[in-house]
Amino acid sequence: MAITRRQFLKRTGLMAAGTVLGPNLWRNPWVRDALASTIGDRYFVVLFLDGGNDSLNTLIPATNGAGTLRTAYEAARKTGNGGLQLSPSDLAATLVGTDPNTGAQLALHPGFTGLKALWDLDKVAIVQGCGYPEYSLSHDQARSIWQTGNPLGIGSLAGTGWMGRYLAANYGSLDIPGVTIDDTVAPEYRQYVTSVLAVERLRDFGFPYDDFVADSLPDDTPAKRTAFAALAASGAGSGQAAEVYIGNSGTATLTSSESYPPLHGVYETDRGGFSDQYQGLGTGTARGFREVAKIIYGVSTGAANVNARFFQLSNGGYDTHSDQGAGETDGQQYSLHKEVGDALKVFYDDCADMGVANKVCVLVWSEFARRIKQNDNGTDHGSQGAMYLIGGSVNGGIYGNHPNIDESALDDEGNTVYTQNANGFRSTDFRDVYGTVLKHWLNMPESTILSNVLLLDSGPAASYWTSKNFDLGFL
Amino acid sequence: MGGENDELLDADARHFLRRTGFGALKRDFDQIRSAHETRGHAADRFLAFAAKPPRFRPNGRDFSSAHNKWIKTLIRPRAPLQAKLVLFWHDHFSTAFAKVQDVALMADQIELLYTQCAGDMRVLVKSINKNPAMMEFLDTVRNRKAIPNENYARELQELFTLGVEDFAGNPNYTQEDIVQIARAFTGWDYDRDAFLDDNRHDFMDDFPARGPKVIYKTTGGFGPGGRSFTVNGEGEAEIDTVIDIIFQHRDTDGKNTVARRTARRLLEYFAHPDPDDAVVDEVVMNSGFDTNFNIAGLVRAILVHDAFYESGAAAPFTASTKKSVKWPVDFLVSTVRLLNIKLKGKDQTLEGGNFASALDHLSNMGQVLMDPPSVFGWDWETSWISSATLLARYGFARDLTAARGRGGTSFRPERLVDLGTRTAGAIVDDVTDVLGVTDQLSGSERGALVQYVSDGGGANATVDLDDYDVRNTKLHGLFALVMQSPAYQLH
Repeated sequence: MAITRRQFLKRTGLMAAGTVLGPNLWRNPWVRDALASTIGDRYFVVLFLDGGNDSLNTLIPATNGAGTLRTAYEAARKTGNGGLQLSPSDLAATLVGTDPNTGAQLALHPGFTGLKALWDLDKVAIVQGCGYPEYSLSHDQARSIWQTGNPLGIGSLAGTGWMGRYLAANYGSLDIPGVTIDDTVAPEYRQYVTSVLAVERLRDFGFPYDDFVADSLPDDTPAKRTAFAALAASGAGSGQAAEVYIGNSGTATLTSSESYPPLHGVYETDRGGFSDQYQGLGTGTARGFREVAKIIYGVSTGAANVNARFFQLSNGGYDTHSDQGAGETDGQQYSLHKEVGDALKVFYDDCADMGVANKVCVLVWSEFARRIKQNDNGTDHGSQGAMYLIGGSVNGGIYGNHPNIDESALDDEGNTVYTQNANGFRSTDFRDVYGTVLKHWLNMPESTILSNVLLLDSGPAASYWTSKNFDLGFL
Repeated sequence: MGGENDELLDADARHFLRRTGFGALKRDFDQIRSAHETRGHAADRFLAFAAKPPRFRPNGRDFSSAHNKWIKTLIRPRAPLQAKLVLFWHDHFSTAFAKVQDVALMADQIELLYTQCAGDMRVLVKSINKNPAMMEFLDTVRNRKAIPNENYARELQELFTLGVEDFAGNPNYTQEDIVQIARAFTGWDYDRDAFLDDNRHDFMDDFPARGPKVIYKTTGGFGPGGRSFTVNGEGEAEIDTVIDIIFQHRDTDGKNTVARRTARRLLEYFAHPDPDDAVVDEVVMNSGFDTNFNIAGLVRAILVHDAFYESGAAAPFTASTKKSVKWPVDFLVSTVRLLNIKLKGKDQTLEGGNFASALDHLSNMGQVLMDPPSVFGWDWETSWISSATLLARYGFARDLTAARGRGGTSFRPERLVDLGTRTAGAIVDDVTDVLGVTDQLSGSERGALVQYVSDGGGANATVDLDDYDVRNTKLHGLFALVMQSPAYQLH
């Protein structure tokens, strides 16, 4: 029982989740029309780095520029046994842009060569210092905050994901607009209006019918299908929330269990070279991106009953309290960045070859960054970190400011401070990143975003998100 | 309002058995009904189990053999409620093999849960503090004075005892409390071999003088000074002190924080996912759990409370019907028991369809024992449901009913329902009775099943189950469809 999340949501009205956001509101055809912000032929992929990625050793100040970021970095990250400090020579091959505030030269972790290659193509936007007010150091609570887009637990947003609210506004109960590459639906897509599939492997996604053959009787499979469909529809027509959810999920599963598995064979036949590249990487992230690619290929080539445009996948292992590793190739963090960077590169190349690279946008996030000062040989939970956007239409560059990591600027817990003060270290609220995606990638009107997806905080303007900026510029 | 002296009538008896064990088996049902047991009698009988664990220590050293041994224990539990409580605490004190990487230590932790699952919760948490699998999982062995590691101190409060926030939404502790408690936990290690030889006190201690600590200066109802403690040189006394303080913590309503949170979690587990705050407070008050912390007493208070029986409601369900989603282990184990299926061999294989092991089936459904996804345990209720996990459940139903043959590990429907030429309606009722969901199916769900068995002929159409082809097609198919129905995913 992920009790804390449930309590957290419950406090803010989870049990009414299906109705809070108002299927009633969305079912109103006038509202639906007003929100019919078609995304045309675009795709959106969310990649979650699960466990709290150490942002300070992912995007590293290699120099001081006009400030003191490098000096502060070297004070916080040790050298020697267990030390996590990355030297300028460690970073020489992965330099990216400069911090807009201090002019410090920034570099990616030496394992992140795949992302560096995409940076060189100008297809990577790095958004620094992303966070939110009253930050949480609990994995569960922080993850839920990012997934719901609801840091302060505002009741009307509870129980649904930030992208879920977008999907609920634009799709109906017969649509299947999203796929999570996992065995559970990603919480950022959660809502109760339309269907999001959870698929680990497309080829294993067929409906399990008994293959018993009765010589004296006709094939029973159509009768089984009819009965199953009727049972699922009955469940969906019940008033009980869990049974409705199970019934609708059953219906979507049956339909897509017939349309999705063939995508595997088609992709293998048509795009075997890219399939081999993913397989050659041999990682879970590469395997996940290959499943996304198969579906995108199916949608873009007009496969019947395949219409998903929203995807989610995740990679775990970022909770590096111990043995994090600095730049050595067998270190934990090196392997994590290598896995994700290389998979992103193959996926981008694959999309480019399909002719859809300009229509695909990948958003990378983690529930928090890690403590500025390292512990023995790892890092504890921290506050703001960088987000990454990758895609053919992304305006490559560094956005937002590096947090102030000088020891004197840290809070009592040793973490960087979220601030909306108009100074050089102003933080980026993650909701401005979401809002920029919704407005510029998914064409949702600002007023709709602010009334239905992301709600401004009330509180002092210096330390809360009281005014939006949905024009960060990366899209 | 009912109470402990209410006799358990049919529906409540079935509900009691489903929730305190795995499936309402006929012989257990008959035992309750023939003795006219009350809620209190049944609760006492089910809680009268020995603390001694079943012989759990795995023979093999590999994960799957340990896992499947546990499953085998659940299919034939000596004390079903003990088994269910252990599964509750396993989720609560979530520890994952993925990080611990030591089957013997994992098995040892499960034995600890069997031994202490119904006793004093303070003793249980103190034992968990020093449990080597937990010390590995949450980095206690890597928590040193010079560089404290906060992992265990955080989760001890967030997940094992207090929770992040109280019922009113106020924080129960601060980051400073985490830091101070982490200091108290520095220096611990254990000698694995000595430990596994049951020499449980052979911890390698290196307890530095860490000075005085103050916790709960702003929460807990301890007043502006908080609670200070200093126990230098003896690590065990010091961390026991931490637990004693935590169990005195009061929330902003002035109630015992651990008692309320634990009672809520147990209600969610045994009854349904949305217990009222008033019910939580009632079961705490009725059991005195906020002073005695006796787990069996708290569970008994739940099992005699009306709120527990609400979720046994019959169909048709409405928006206010309280239901809980069956979790994978309960789904698999209770189904296997109801259909009297034997899983085969060390791997506990289901001998039909894909011939997959219990571990494989549960992995596909999203719940591998001893390997929860994170320190938060599993995500429950509708989070169990997705297209992927539903296909796993549907596939399990298919595999089970495809286990044809006359062997001991086969599905033998002729032993569960009468064959012969019978009406479709009677056949459907028999099958849903066997699976315990007759009163959980709506009219339209039953109608869909009748149409299937009768090929559209209706409830009074006759079906010849003595015919080999008909039986293997329609009767096997009917069992699978009931297990695939939305109602069967609930309990």
